[in-house]
Amino acid sequence: MPQTPSLDGIPLFERLSPDERDEMAEVMEPASFGAGAFIYAEGGPEETLYVITSGAVEVHKQVLPGRRHHLATVQAPTVVGEMGLLTEPRAAASVTAKTPVEAHGIARDQLLEMLDEDSLAACKLVHEIGRTLAERMARTDESVAGIIARLERRNARADHDPDIFSDRLLGEWGF
Amino acid sequence: MTEEKLQRVKFFEFLTDEERSEFMEGAEPAMFEAGEEIISEGEESSSLFVLTSGQVEVRKKILGDRDRLLAEIDADGEPTVVGERGLLGRSGASATVRAAGRVEAIRIPREAFRRMISEGRPAAFKLSYRIARTLAHRLTRLDEEVVEAIRDLERRGETDLEAFRDRLITEWTV
Repeated sequence: MPQTPSLDGIPLFERLSPDERDEMAEVMEPASFGAGAFIYAEGGPEETLYVITSGAVEVHKQVLPGRRHHLATVQAPTVVGEMGLLTEPRAAASVTAKTPVEAHGIARDQLLEMLDEDSLAACKLVHEIGRTLAERMARTDESVAGIIARLERRNARADHDPDIFSDRLLGEWGF
Repeated sequence: MTEEKLQRVKFFEFLTDEERSEFMEGAEPAMFEAGEEIISEGEESSSLFVLTSGQVEVRKKILGDRDRLLAEIDADGEPTVVGERGLLGRSGASATVRAAGRVEAIRIPREAFRRMISEGRPAAFKLSYRIARTLAHRLTRLDEEVVEAIRDLERRGETDLEAFRDRLITEWTV
């Protein structure tokens, strides 16, 4: 019998009532990853959302051919796979365990089903995820503004024509 | 009447009639004349607006005083939602939304939304789920565009790109 996960002290579950925590615990499976193990491989499936309760994970993406860029190191408690949950179940970056990692996995399909059925427990979980995405969106917007400003400054100096892709970046703006 | 308008918004289709009424309790009608700012860049955007008629422009300051037109939205054809990120996040608005003519809207203040969240009302959490999904899709597209931009810049053989790209990448979170 898998051990019932304790969801106390994990920020993601703070708003859930004891009954709602039980409801979530029922669909969660404990998972552990050894240091160096892949949780997701870039371009591969992202069918499970993991609530990481101990350890640290690293995020890498191949931005330029043959080079892996380190994007972030994230300490527990955290959640990974939330983008796969809310968009397509395909990993945009690799996530590996930096140290031994303990986690609780929730199958994406099962969570989506709960959301479709308006499970308040599942909606509360996604509300917390949404709050972190809103902040991330704000930071991404600023980064993109930085790219555009830089391109336009260069454009003012020389006869480069960065308009094509600065327009493309602008077209995807979130406000 | 406002409630009927809310019903026409795709964004709110997932709510039951009863839940829509819950939102309307905390909502208020708003009217903007040409040139008025509905959301101001840099300020904490504190409300979600359902634009029910009129046109707006979305602008962003890129270099000093210059601002760039990001989008024009026509709410006459179909009601549109702006400012949804402000309900969930704390950061200031990343662009200005300005009325291009007379604009009618329904305002859902953040306080009303937060109150519903702290009362554990399902309607508010259902809205959160929709907002989270919208944000996640936009983030995915933006991330892809940023990666493409980095690759384009690299192909141009720029010399001082390293620092710039690193800054961009540090901002990336999971």
